[in-house]
Amino acid sequence: MGPDIAPGPDVPWRKVLWERQPFPDNYVDERFLEELRRNEGIRQYRYWAVVKEAVLVGQQLSCVAIFITFWLYMEQGLLSPEVLLWTSLIVGVLGYGLHNALRPQLGTDREPRTHLADLQSAAIFLSFTFGFSPVLKTLTESVSTDTVYAMSALMLLAHLVSFPYAHPSPTGSLSLNAALFASVCLASRLPGALHTFAMLSCALLMFALWPCLLQSIRDHAIGPSAWLCVAVCLGGVGGLGSRWLGGAVLLALALVSVILLCPLLLVKLQRHKDNIQGPWDEAEIHEDLCKVPY
Amino acid sequence: MAPWRRKADGTGERASEADTIVPTPTQKHSICMVSDFFYPNMGGVESHIYQLSQCLMEKGHKVVIATHAYGRRKGVRYLTGGLKVYYLPLQVMYNQSTATSCFHSLPLLRCVFVREAVTVVHAHSSFSAMAHDALFHAKTMGLNTVFTDHSLFGFADMSSVLTNKLLTVSLCDTTHIVCVSYTSKENTVLRAALDPRIVSVIPNAVDPTDFTPDPARAPRGRITVVVISRLVYRKGIDLLGGIIPELCLRHPDLDFLIGGEGPKRIVLEEVREKYQLHDRVRLLGALEHREVRDVLVQGHIFLNTSLTEAFCMAIVEGASCGLQVVSTRVGGIPEVLPDDLILLCDPTVRSLSDGLEAVIGRLRRGAVASPAAVHARVRSLYTWRDVAERTEKVYDRVCVEEVLPLAGRLLRLRDHCGGVAGSIFAFVAVLNFLFLLLLRWLVPDQGMDRALDASGPQALWGPPQRDPPAEEAGEGSQPQRDPWSDGAPTAEGPLV
Repeated sequence: MGPDIAPGPDVPWRKVLWERQPFPDNYVDERFLEELRRNEGIRQYRYWAVVKEAVLVGQQLSCVAIFITFWLYMEQGLLSPEVLLWTSLIVGVLGYGLHNALRPQLGTDREPRTHLADLQSAAIFLSFTFGFSPVLKTLTESVSTDTVYAMSALMLLAHLVSFPYAHPSPTGSLSLNAALFASVCLASRLPGALHTFAMLSCALLMFALWPCLLQSIRDHAIGPSAWLCVAVCLGGVGGLGSRWLGGAVLLALALVSVILLCPLLLVKLQRHKDNIQGPWDEAEIHEDLCKVPY
Repeated sequence: MAPWRRKADGTGERASEADTIVPTPTQKHSICMVSDFFYPNMGGVESHIYQLSQCLMEKGHKVVIATHAYGRRKGVRYLTGGLKVYYLPLQVMYNQSTATSCFHSLPLLRCVFVREAVTVVHAHSSFSAMAHDALFHAKTMGLNTVFTDHSLFGFADMSSVLTNKLLTVSLCDTTHIVCVSYTSKENTVLRAALDPRIVSVIPNAVDPTDFTPDPARAPRGRITVVVISRLVYRKGIDLLGGIIPELCLRHPDLDFLIGGEGPKRIVLEEVREKYQLHDRVRLLGALEHREVRDVLVQGHIFLNTSLTEAFCMAIVEGASCGLQVVSTRVGGIPEVLPDDLILLCDPTVRSLSDGLEAVIGRLRRGAVASPAAVHARVRSLYTWRDVAERTEKVYDRVCVEEVLPLAGRLLRLRDHCGGVAGSIFAFVAVLNFLFLLLLRWLVPDQGMDRALDASGPQALWGPPQRDPPAEEAGEGSQPQRDPWSDGAPTAEGPLV
């Protein structure tokens, strides 16, 4: 079905409605869709750059695996809480030193937190956790173990899903809370109150402080931080493998697919991207309307 | 088909002259307009259907409207001039749109189509599930179909991907599609992967007799900016909230008059509260259609801040009342008014403020056309008679098209809509066809009562209508249009 009549060659068609033009209503001009724009502002990804970012996801997955490994060791009595506490303390102090060493280069526009304030928060957290650990230990006594495990698994999954991978510092409140909830659940199944305390301190270190440290390392030097992440991944697989071989194999497969296959897929599928824009798109409001002058 | 070839030298009398040169074919259609959106709901689609139907009836066609029941308003009703409306008992799901299952509405709609001897089914609005259902059933029954798209839609997010797929399915075998602006046509062609030659552009219209200027009503010594729109995000109310304090501070004699209701009202109330503008920013709340003109004539400038718009009748109404129009440059808006009647701005607070500033400056210097002059220019641009005439041509060409038989339809669905969705909907089409056979076996078409015509060639409502003389059919004069005068429900039998 063609247009009703051939267009008059002498009058050019105009994209206006207010004027009745000598063209049929279903006339299609060569200028039809001339304002269509494709893939505007598209980002071209390079494989290794994407891998460097994806390794962050992998290392968070491994962190969860490492945490579960510690818990397995504690639960089976292969790791005493004292050893874990001392290790945590040493690692924590070392990390704090590193974090401080990296901080001044990050820019000085903000008032830096004093060491006293840091010490205060640490003291408050530790004393409260220590004080409450007997309570936390018996918190889930009336709940069946299966439920506790299922809940922990769900919460760790929620932690992984909601983790703000783009800006891990500060850790998103949902992901941090989910992780701590899971750790409380798991820690309450351990044999003693000191075990619970050690487990929770370890969880705080891994889920709250480690992402901050990693972020400042990344800001400082992205190359070494990627290797650090790889080391965490290997540690996770190795650790889990020492207690549960099947789990380690699964973790390794997950890591390979997240770090190597998914970026490959992203880069390969990129050329199929066909994003169309045009005058029909809803305009976006870019201004911050809360900051109207005066 | 009525090919008319004439140079567009003026906008005044072209429609009537085209008619006298090449008379339209005398074939009269029996049209069923279907949409979820109709009176008592109010809006652009609703008034489009109503006005178009009135003008088509005036041209001697038979028109009936099918919509869903609104509360206690159900059954058959008659509006002005014998416009018959079927309020069908279908369940409303969301935003006045009915639920769709592709099947449950078939018995009811078949009943309407057969009883009214419908030849063309004209569905309106892509947001209306009932419209898509009607298209689907009409194609199963072998009727010709026309669809009018009134809105623009994006491509980027999940909901638009799904909606566009459904639109592709619905329109791939629809005979002809009508869009309200060229931008809307481009959008619909892309969304539904259509051949652009089966898509016509027929703009909306405004009744100029409803929107006449009245300069005496506008306050002297002060400048009033009028905004009439639903207060929702898509209408750019956040931008409006940014403009108001800035301009009110700069111009102590500037007032804002805002008509409309919606979730973004809170934004404007906050601004009013924060900057103590209670006496200068008046929020009128929801307006009825007939109140709009009275609000418009109280202002000097009409401001439209929409973020997306297929046609935008509001700016035409504003200009018709003689106001200076400032609007965002989005969607089909740049096509609607000539540059001397509208000032187009980017959709930012800065650009819109600058635009308003420019118009305020012009108003102070008196460098603007008088309201009467603006009205005179606008009154002939968009008339419903013109819309009806162009729609009639669409019906004329649709009626000679062959409706795809079931086999062809299945192939078209499979080819056009992708393997998965195409196969699913081909299956649904087969089921729909079998259901139709069952219904025909239960209640044969021959056994169904034929309804008495209230409009069309055999109209029994009032004196038989003739085509109005060509001189009258030109600019300005519109059919009688008492707002929604409503006849009593008739004693017709139940539908099924």
